[in-house]
Amino acid sequence: MQNPSIKKRSMQILVIGLAMLTSAVFASSVFAIEYGGFGGRPAYPRADNPRTESIFVHTLEPGDVQEEGVLTVNNSAERKTMLVYAVDSTPSTGGAFACAQKSETPKDVGAWITLEKGEVTLEPGTNELVPFTIRVPQNASVGEHNGCIVMQEKKEPVKGQSGASLSFRTGLRVAITIPGELERKLEIVGFTVTKKDDGSFLLHPLVKNLGNVSIDADAQVITSYFFGLTHITHGGQYPILRGDISDWNFELKKPFWGGWYRSSFVAEYDANPEAGVGVKSGKTLTRLEGPSVWFWSFPTPVALAIEVIVLLVLAFGGFLFWLSQKRKRWIKENWVFYEIKSGEDIKSLAERFDVSWKLLARVNKLKPPYALKTGQKIKVPPTK
Amino acid sequence: MHKLIRKLLGKLNIAIALTLAMVMAGGLGGATYVLASSTSNFTQTINAGTLVVDIVDGTSYVTVGSPTMAMSAATFSFACQTKTGSFGTASESIYVSNPDAADNGWAVSLAGTATSSVWASAGTDFDFNDGGGSGCTDTVDAQDTDAVGGQMTVDPSVGTLAIGQCASCVTTNVTKGSSDAFNAVTGPVNTITILTGAAASDDIGDWKLTGVSISQKIPAEQPAASDYNINMVLSIAAS
Repeated sequence: MQNPSIKKRSMQILVIGLAMLTSAVFASSVFAIEYGGFGGRPAYPRADNPRTESIFVHTLEPGDVQEEGVLTVNNSAERKTMLVYAVDSTPSTGGAFACAQKSETPKDVGAWITLEKGEVTLEPGTNELVPFTIRVPQNASVGEHNGCIVMQEKKEPVKGQSGASLSFRTGLRVAITIPGELERKLEIVGFTVTKKDDGSFLLHPLVKNLGNVSIDADAQVITSYFFGLTHITHGGQYPILRGDISDWNFELKKPFWGGWYRSSFVAEYDANPEAGVGVKSGKTLTRLEGPSVWFWSFPTPVALAIEVIVLLVLAFGGFLFWLSQKRKRWIKENWVFYEIKSGEDIKSLAERFDVSWKLLARVNKLKPPYALKTGQKIKVPPTK
Repeated sequence: MHKLIRKLLGKLNIAIALTLAMVMAGGLGGATYVLASSTSNFTQTINAGTLVVDIVDGTSYVTVGSPTMAMSAATFSFACQTKTGSFGTASESIYVSNPDAADNGWAVSLAGTATSSVWASAGTDFDFNDGGGSGCTDTVDAQDTDAVGGQMTVDPSVGTLAIGQCASCVTTNVTKGSSDAFNAVTGPVNTITILTGAAASDDIGDWKLTGVSISQKIPAEQPAASDYNINMVLSIAAS
């Protein structure tokens, strides 16, 4: 029998061990590594437009002056000196939104913005409001104009360094709409499917904005199996800037089963004049249907093995079915009627005609207990 | 009575052991324990998160101090040659963090600091955005005022996209950009999209892209030098 004090000590060790394990597991999940960085956010988001939490959105008449502010933030572990400046937007490849470089002289929204400060120094975990003013010129054209407020770390160039060195910056879009005849129109200009070396596919739709405002388009590529069942849908809502062609690369992993697939491109957007940046009209969306592309994908090895087995099983099943049909036809065409004589039963008939009693019962639709009456006529195999 | 005291001491033993275990485990987990007085006031300030792009170590997520685009070494050649490279080393990634700062999407792009930027050296420079002669010769016009050839191509589509530290996040609705070459004249292509996050991408999330391919056309007879350098800007913009 175990000593009670040993038992008690074992219990204590168990409790300590469990407590340590539990605490360590939970403590490490709570105190995960966190990434900070620096950048900024709009200082005065409006409740009527949730988009203003991320970017600056205003509808302004020519000559209007709008006061705004950007909250510069340093969440890194170091003291940071940031350059804060305004630039025009610039089209990036694929029609994505991008901000022009500081070296480029602004001509549009970038030139309309005057910041109170061009540089801020922030201690770790602090922020500072930088007010700025947007002055829309009298000759501003109708439609949407885009620019950026950019936060970039001030860095002294490293002397003697060779290679391509990188600087980082965060830009916040400034979307100014000048009221007037606003046109919201998109056009699908292409859709291609390209096979990659690893067997995956690149689905690449292109959409052009023909209007004078940016449009948030819901771009969807639907890939279906040969028989029409949807395999996967790629896409999302992307802004397409005025005059730009936007394109996206949706990656389709190599389909497991292989075979013929069809990818179709569909774009939906709010063409109603009430819609704007971050504002939905609530009316019916315009749907554009693009071209469909058929493509072949070879099955993965596992799928191929499964498919071969299934095909073999199906082929064997088909052969058995064909065989049974053939036999049925032969029975129908060749079996003859026979009149039951006294003392004969299904078993003796089966032995006499060299056939299984079950087949005799099935052909003649006999039910248990398979009793036969004298004089009854049943079908039997022909005698040789 | 003696039995009762022994029993109480036994219970006290377990309590002390538990407290010690908690303190030790807390230390391991990085937590700090504070013994509060009877009237405690807790204050906590959470600074607003911001959209960020950076180059980090792909495992530890520590910012790379002086990130570069590593290019393979070139030797002098009488013919135009192409050299390849990538963002940082194989273990480094382009890192995007969106702490609820761009709910309607974002885009990461790469550009030169100016269209007139070149791979500068003490000797003869070469260009990063001249499409003349398939990137091998110089084209001079209003957009590309430098008198040197050379062209850089960036292909984010070959990179590997993965989620970052946010275990519950997904890469759905985050797409890699297409391969494109900087060209100050045709297009023009001054900014190349690396990564795009759609409106439906995770509002709070982080992602890393490793292995973005860079290739650079170096004009024929470009003098040998070890100090060629260029400054590029990696931007993230909330859209």
